[in-house]
Amino acid sequence: MDAYLAAIAIIALIYVLLSLGLTLQYGLTGLINFGHVGFFAIGAYTSALLALKGVPLILTFPAAAVLAGLSAWPIGLVSLRLRDDYFAIVTLGFSEVVRIVITSEKWLTNGVQGVPGIPRLFEGLQGFAAQAATLAVILAVTIVAVWMILRIAKSPFGRLIEAIRDNEEAVKALGKDPASFKIQVLIVGAAIAGVAGAFYAHYITYIVPDQFIPLVTFYVWMAVIMGGVGRVSGAVVGAAILMVFLEGSRFLRDIVPWISEVDMASVRIGVVGLLLILFVMFRPQGLMGDYTKR
Amino acid sequence: MFYAQLLVNGLVQGLVIGLAALSITLVFGIARFPNAATGDAMTLGGYSALAAFKATGSMALGGVAAFLATAVVSLLAYLAVFRQLANRSVVSLLVASIGVAFFIRAVLGVTFGHAQQVFMAPLSRPYVLGGVRITPLDLQLAAVAAIALAAVFGLLYFTPIGRQMRAVADNRDLARVSGVRPGRVMVALWLLAGGVAGVGGMMLGVKTIVSPESGWEMLLPAFTAAILGGIGSPGGAVLAGLLLGVAQEASTPFVGFTYKIALAFVIMLAVLLVRPRGLFGRVEGAR
Repeated sequence: MDAYLAAIAIIALIYVLLSLGLTLQYGLTGLINFGHVGFFAIGAYTSALLALKGVPLILTFPAAAVLAGLSAWPIGLVSLRLRDDYFAIVTLGFSEVVRIVITSEKWLTNGVQGVPGIPRLFEGLQGFAAQAATLAVILAVTIVAVWMILRIAKSPFGRLIEAIRDNEEAVKALGKDPASFKIQVLIVGAAIAGVAGAFYAHYITYIVPDQFIPLVTFYVWMAVIMGGVGRVSGAVVGAAILMVFLEGSRFLRDIVPWISEVDMASVRIGVVGLLLILFVMFRPQGLMGDYTKR
Repeated sequence: MFYAQLLVNGLVQGLVIGLAALSITLVFGIARFPNAATGDAMTLGGYSALAAFKATGSMALGGVAAFLATAVVSLLAYLAVFRQLANRSVVSLLVASIGVAFFIRAVLGVTFGHAQQVFMAPLSRPYVLGGVRITPLDLQLAAVAAIALAAVFGLLYFTPIGRQMRAVADNRDLARVSGVRPGRVMVALWLLAGGVAGVGGMMLGVKTIVSPESGWEMLLPAFTAAILGGIGSPGGAVLAGLLLGVAQEASTPFVGFTYKIALAFVIMLAVLLVRPRGLFGRVEGAR
């Protein structure tokens, strides 16, 4: 039971990290990043492949962050001067292309067969101790990320990106170039997603392209929208609810055994779709949202 | 000769992309958001056509079924979701359209299962024109697509409701001041956009397979064609779809089958960088 709870907590914290990246990008800056899973995938594959080459994990995690962040840079350069909705399409396309590349480049990623045998964090420790240590590390990283984003939100930089979200024209009129700030935000958010990907790869120890479908992006969107857009607490609460939903739908199968596993996948997608619609329509500020504004 | 064959294959593929892009560009031009549910609307069209084809054996009736079913579901999505969000930001509409897409996919998955299904079209001898093989099936599909396109363009350019739709696309406020009733225009828009996507979905199903995920994969090429043609330009969308279809087929010998969709992405980026309003788009454009 302890092991099970620890496993859930680790996966939940991975989703918290992803949600924090999106909160920075969408919640604070207003960037409609529909390709979050692409940065997650780059982080996962980077760290996994480097680790299998014998690079110590203390180096592969920063590498995952750097590569995921760097991959966001050209996307930002190309598309951040475009309108919001075009940016959404471009990022969605980017994540699909990432998946196509990791599916096709078999020499690097082993294609659809995936990368097995990725070393765990704390290989030296036995059983539950390794899991508890992993949990402690990811918790520490998450707390640092939360602290960092709270600091960013309160800083002059944070006020500026929120101003970009609320009125880009006004920011331009004040002589600031929104595009350069947006690129920075995009890169930082992508780097956080990359770290989340590295944790994921080393925890699951086996990654295939099918784990990085756009549905994951919209799990994170669902978490951010449910929790409350632009609130750091919302990202945490939203990811927790998401985890309860994902795990709960597994237990539902025990109660209603006549639903097959593939049907359950459909039901899950349907519920995600429905929740996205309902929250956007009836509760756009989310559960932890600002109850005084709007 | 090899390339002439690729050209023919590309044109059929291009009609699929063109129909999807037409649906996207109509919604983008008039309702002002990129409808991410277009891909899954195509999937619905594929399943509807398949059901009608199995029942009657007629490809034409399959097309009619695809058009009708997808048109009705699109209208329902508009009435239930998109109409309520009409005055909200584009993000709300975009996220809601993703929600609609997932919901359609889930319903299709539960109803029809996840196994890949195919149209069991009778095999027939292809016509050979100067060494280029054209199957009667491709000709039938092209005919269905041509009829659907003729109907859409006829409606858009020769009927009062079509004129009103174009007026709203051009300038919503001016159209309203001139006495155009936006409600009727939107109903016509969603029926039309849905139906066109449905026919595209049927063609996609006949040419490849029908599965709950099949339509979603077309979303990126379709967005690319809509942007390349110029958002809000129906003719541009179809033309760009054909161009993209041919480009994808022509590139296959060099980059391989799987990178077809990546090619669409690269073209999209290039268009957005060099000429964001596309071939025939309005100047207000993307920036």
